[in-house]
Amino acid sequence: MVTKRRVALVGARMTAGLAGIVVVVVAVGGAALAPWPAVVSEPEATLVTPVASDQTQVCPGPLLTLAADSSQADVATSVSRFDTVYGARAAGTGGAVVDVTRSDLAAVENAESARDGAPQLLTVPAGAAAQAAALVNGAQSQNAASETLGGLATSACTAADSDSWLVGGSTDVGRTSLVLLSNPSTVVATVDLTVYGETGQVDAPGSTGILVQPGTQRIISLAGLAPNLLSPVVHVQATGGQVAAALQQSVISGIQPGGAELLGPTTDAATEQVIPGVVVTPPGAEVSVDEGAVSEDTPTVRVLVPGDAPATVSVGVQSEDGASAGTSLEVVIQPGLATEIPLSGIAPGNYTVSLAGDQPLVAAALTTVTGTATRDFTWASAAAAQADEFLVYIAPGPAPALHLANTSDVDSVLTLTADGGAVTTLTVPAGQSVVTGVTESIAYLVTGGEGIAASVGYSGDGLASSYTVSPIGALVQAIPVYPR
Amino acid sequence: MQARVTAIIVARNGAAHLQRTLEALRGQTRQPDTVVAVDCGSTDASAELLAAYGPTHFISADASLSFGDAIKTAVRVLPDPEGDHELLWLLAQDSAPETRALQKLVAELEIAPSVAVAGPKVMEWIADDYIHDFGLSMTPYGSTVTLVESELDQEQHDALSDVLAVSAGGMLVRRTVWDLLGGFDSALPVVDDSLDFCVRVRLAGFRVSVVSAARVSSAGDGVAGPDGSSRGRTSRRRVRAERSAALHRRLVYAPTWALAVHWLSLVPLAFLRSIIDLLRKEPGSIIGEFAAAFSAAFLGSKVRQARRKLAATRTLGWSSISSLRVSAAEVRRRHALTREAALTGARGDRPEIRFFSRGGAWTLLGAVVVGVVVFAPFLGAQALSGGGLLPLSDSVGALWANVGYGWRDIGLGFVGGADPFAVVLAILGTLTFWSPSFAMVLLYLLALPLAAFGAWMASTRLTHRGSIRATAAVLWMLSPTFLTALATGRPAAILVHLLLPWLFFAGIAAARSWSASGSAALLFAAIVACAPSLAPALLIIWLLCVFASGRRVMRFVGIPLPALALALPLIWDQVLRANWLALLADPGVPVPTSPVPVWQMILGFPAGDLGGWPQLLPLWGGTATAADLMVPLLLVPLAVLALVSLLLPGARGAASALIGALLGLGTAIGASSLSLAAVGDQSVTIWPGAGLSLYWLGIVGAVVFAARGLHKVAVAPLVAAALALAVVSLPLAAALPLGTAAVQETLGRTQPAFVTAEALVTPRVGTLQIVPQPDGGILATIVRGAGERLDAQSTLSSTATGTTDEQAELATLAGNLASQSGLDASAELARFGIRFVLLRPAAQTPTEWGAAGAVTTAATQTSTRTTTSLDGTAALVPVGDTAFGRLWRSDAQTDVAVNGAIPADAGGVVGLLTTIVAVLVIGATVLLSIPTGAGREAVYQAHRDAIRRASRMSKPVKPTKVRRSSRAPRVPRSERPGAKSKTKAGTRTTADAKPTPQPTSKPGAPEPGAPTAPEPTAGPDRQAPGVTTAPARTDSTEDTDNGH
Repeated sequence: MVTKRRVALVGARMTAGLAGIVVVVVAVGGAALAPWPAVVSEPEATLVTPVASDQTQVCPGPLLTLAADSSQADVATSVSRFDTVYGARAAGTGGAVVDVTRSDLAAVENAESARDGAPQLLTVPAGAAAQAAALVNGAQSQNAASETLGGLATSACTAADSDSWLVGGSTDVGRTSLVLLSNPSTVVATVDLTVYGETGQVDAPGSTGILVQPGTQRIISLAGLAPNLLSPVVHVQATGGQVAAALQQSVISGIQPGGAELLGPTTDAATEQVIPGVVVTPPGAEVSVDEGAVSEDTPTVRVLVPGDAPATVSVGVQSEDGASAGTSLEVVIQPGLATEIPLSGIAPGNYTVSLAGDQPLVAAALTTVTGTATRDFTWASAAAAQADEFLVYIAPGPAPALHLANTSDVDSVLTLTADGGAVTTLTVPAGQSVVTGVTESIAYLVTGGEGIAASVGYSGDGLASSYTVSPIGALVQAIPVYPR
Repeated sequence: MQARVTAIIVARNGAAHLQRTLEALRGQTRQPDTVVAVDCGSTDASAELLAAYGPTHFISADASLSFGDAIKTAVRVLPDPEGDHELLWLLAQDSAPETRALQKLVAELEIAPSVAVAGPKVMEWIADDYIHDFGLSMTPYGSTVTLVESELDQEQHDALSDVLAVSAGGMLVRRTVWDLLGGFDSALPVVDDSLDFCVRVRLAGFRVSVVSAARVSSAGDGVAGPDGSSRGRTSRRRVRAERSAALHRRLVYAPTWALAVHWLSLVPLAFLRSIIDLLRKEPGSIIGEFAAAFSAAFLGSKVRQARRKLAATRTLGWSSISSLRVSAAEVRRRHALTREAALTGARGDRPEIRFFSRGGAWTLLGAVVVGVVVFAPFLGAQALSGGGLLPLSDSVGALWANVGYGWRDIGLGFVGGADPFAVVLAILGTLTFWSPSFAMVLLYLLALPLAAFGAWMASTRLTHRGSIRATAAVLWMLSPTFLTALATGRPAAILVHLLLPWLFFAGIAAARSWSASGSAALLFAAIVACAPSLAPALLIIWLLCVFASGRRVMRFVGIPLPALALALPLIWDQVLRANWLALLADPGVPVPTSPVPVWQMILGFPAGDLGGWPQLLPLWGGTATAADLMVPLLLVPLAVLALVSLLLPGARGAASALIGALLGLGTAIGASSLSLAAVGDQSVTIWPGAGLSLYWLGIVGAVVFAARGLHKVAVAPLVAAALALAVVSLPLAAALPLGTAAVQETLGRTQPAFVTAEALVTPRVGTLQIVPQPDGGILATIVRGAGERLDAQSTLSSTATGTTDEQAELATLAGNLASQSGLDASAELARFGIRFVLLRPAAQTPTEWGAAGAVTTAATQTSTRTTTSLDGTAALVPVGDTAFGRLWRSDAQTDVAVNGAIPADAGGVVGLLTTIVAVLVIGATVLLSIPTGAGREAVYQAHRDAIRRASRMSKPVKPTKVRRSSRAPRVPRSERPGAKSKTKAGTRTTADAKPTPQPTSKPGAPEPGAPTAPEPTAGPDRQAPGVTTAPARTDSTEDTDNGH
């Protein structure tokens, strides 16, 4: 009797206990598998558009040559005059012209600046009531044909910055690379140059603490800092005042000038870089290289990963001419080593090179052109995407073309309004690029340009050059401010 | 002349007792000559019974009639008295006289003509060998004293004769005297009516005596004299009536010159007595205390009437009765006895802890060693920072200034309610008043021992076995959620983990002790203050307890009150914002975390990544993925033990524990999906660790139940579970040496030394702190003075939505400073009282456990941009790089006394009101929680309960007139009412089993030997831990009866 009841009791307890275990396990397991809704209170930011200030841009000035006078081997002198075009439009007004003040920066290290002109400082005073910064653009060009220096060099006028990357140049035999540092501000800028080469960061005495006085330009020979570098990348960091940095590269093959180029800063290190306007021309007749070898004329992309982790970079080459031609390759790039990626086997044409890495990187592309009599090369830097409408001035030069790459994922419809009123409408499909011919020495106001990376390229007989159209300076872009 | 007795019997719904009373009346050897029956509006059979008796007069009266008024009504129907031989015998429905009672009483009045009132020995109704009351008196100050009360009658008081007064039921009084004095004072309807009457009899020159041979049984129905029931409402009403009567008599007896003094003292005394009531654990008396004081103060006409009546009949001075009063020495002796009884009751509440003999000391010692080893780097530290830790305010005054409704000095500052957590921090900081920030260091150094101690103590409520208690302590101390909170610097979560076992400890005892109930309320408030996300789960548990607590419900109802009082200012503000959910936001520094998968929480890891094993294994040559298998496997013993508890004896307790665990898990999951706060562009989810602490508490509880049920077999699984957990928790416990902990020692500064130095001169100096955000934006806040403090943090700020005008202006300034801008910054900087601009390192996005957060490219670019812009701002002079970021100085003249000063009286009326409410509620709870033993009322009730129980045990079938032959065994009378169930649990029937409210959902667990005590077949000494305590409790049966 008693035992029976005990058995019944224990049985009931076991049943209830097992039921409880099942309930607990199901509850816990269900909790793990169930999708839980989330309540998220999104942080709120105030988007602050900075009060417009005086905008300044610096055009780097005339091409320079070293050692024209053998008694002063490290003194740079200019060879000839250069042309500048510039102007400004009020933002959002459809092209109302804003006055630009031009002045000269002191180029004390160029003995011939009085004759050939000095670096130009373009100033757009802040409008009284204007909240948004005016669109200002300028470019310069110079077609040099001296004994030591020949070729077309164009450059955009750029805003001063405290941190910029110059991807290009070489200090190999026959190559001259000069870093031009212009300080348009009113305070002394202290500039540190960090030079990376194909073997890593170069320990360069004298590369730090370079003082650039207000309103002057300093000319630094890269060879003096880091000789015999095939592929340097220069990181320019300024404290105090800011500097507009540019790099001038010229080549002498034997005794013949092999081209010249002025290149402005490329975009900041980022995981995505777009280089529009990489113009590949037919190789010169006299060039014959072994099958499979990399010719000097092969277009190359120079990449640096400034971080400390190797980056896997996929390089996409896409035609701007509507042709389906294009290639893509993937490379692993060691950090701190300036690496050249040859783009072999690409048919002549206009291309946009896109790089996507898992680490931030900086990049620019080098192409050469061989004409009937002369040779030239051009550095196409990575271009940053525009935020909205932008202004582009076309410096004088042979056959200028506007290269437009759409970095966004929606098709862009662009309206190009030339000075004089001619309107062109272009459609740039998402992720694609187009090229359109433009007229030299006038300005184009491009509307609907969100996500567009733009550059201007020139190609003539043995002449080539390009410059990028920088968006409005990062420092004047609106910034979200969180109050808590 | 032959005495002529008129018996007046008053009944009000008393059929249950009336039968016996009427039978006893019939059986009197000396029959009353006249019987007047007064039925006070009975709705039961009382009227029929009275009529069936055949009284001379039958009066139907109103139900609201008091005993005295009913007698007066009855006297009115009688013919006028013919002389002193006419006697009135006052009986109530529950006054059953013994057969010779009237004969003895009449004899007393006949023998001594000077005696006007004779009273019987009033016996207990159900246990008629116990004296209910026998003679009344007053102290020199006028308080009522029952000379003999609730005492076993061994004829030890039979020598008593002349007394000051007798109780109303069974009183025999000369009709002439009754008429002369006008009967009972109608202002004393229930209590002290007969005392007052007898006092007036004495002062009119007559004598009052008790007749021990005349015995009348009384059931305490509340017709004559107060209702003796121990039910909360009745007993509260009785207490109020007693106080009202005492105050009335005080005003009536006082000499005229003292009236004003007495009148003025009424309300202040009520306050004072309320505090004493709280200390006596009789919070229910407080309302009566004030009601009595106010009615005595403002209903003066009754006092005037009574004074006039007294003056008219008084022939003797007050000195004539002074010898009949109870002497001061006797009063002291009685108080001492009551106190002793109360303390015994309090002692009886204490569980059998045996801290030293059960190995608690060794457990604690081990925890201290582990704690010192783990936190050795913090020995000698002055303050901690990192994660959610910041230094506290520098002085105790500043700490308390951050409490309550008022100025919240965070960012631009605003008027609002402080987080209740600020109170917790203020208390902690006050403990280390010489350096408040040191409290956090102390918290870390003592965290592990305190956790182990708390869990050990909590487990004493469940088991007496030292090994199980020690295991519970280890399991609790090494809980991954606790160690994660320590490593990531979350002081609130650490405190929650330390306090939860104590809430359980106190909550279990709340059913039988007001003191424990008060402690539980305070702990509840502290825990909810530290982790508001736990409030829903704790409230559910509280509701379950309230429903299960039966007649002890009052001890549970108030538990959330202090938490509510503390949160009142915050609730006020969030309700105004209609942002209810934000009340759940974590107090303290908002720390963004990466999302945690639910299965990690089920394993107990609030920060995910299995506590760091995937990072640790590769260092030892393993693969990271092995951790995914290893850690769950190591936790299997714990899970199995917790689940098996449902199959073992004590499954009900274990089930409650697991319900608690599920509630905790639900809290954790819910918390991790709620992002209510934000810092910069990152949303901050509620820390799930607090919920996981509750989850872990339930699991450890279930494991303890399993271990209890497994007896000796339990040792091996317990050791295995504890060892496995120790392995699992290794990377978390070693987070500090491994370098994965966010917490670090600091000098107590949160700003560059340059700013701190300036703050010494200008305490309100403003620093604009800019933190680049992962999305490329900036977080811009103003920090005043020496820097941010943990106690100044506010969820009102971190959960705010929208931007005020002032914030927008500051944002505009900061945005322009971070850009190339044409704004004249110096004027704006001066307006905000900003002297410094500090660009802090870019905010990191949370990544996996132990690794430093990642800084996005956008944040780096913003950092560069801001540096460039600030360098280029003419209004700012660079100071240099500091440990806290890059610093600029503004030399614009600014009057920080104007710009950035704290407005005076920011809290205003709301601040004052909420502070008063909080101080009153918390103060009352603190008073209640101080263990002073039970009050007089509780002791009195304990006596009555003991008597009732004794009678029930001696008369198992029904109360018949079995006399001393079957006397009950002596029973402890000092027992507190709630402690009833502790004795002889096995012999009691379920009918009288008290509900056992379980504060933290562990029914049966705490109440040793309670009806839920498992396994009646098991030996009491080795099975149910509680049963072993029964002998210990019966030790406390020393006789503390009054009157010995």
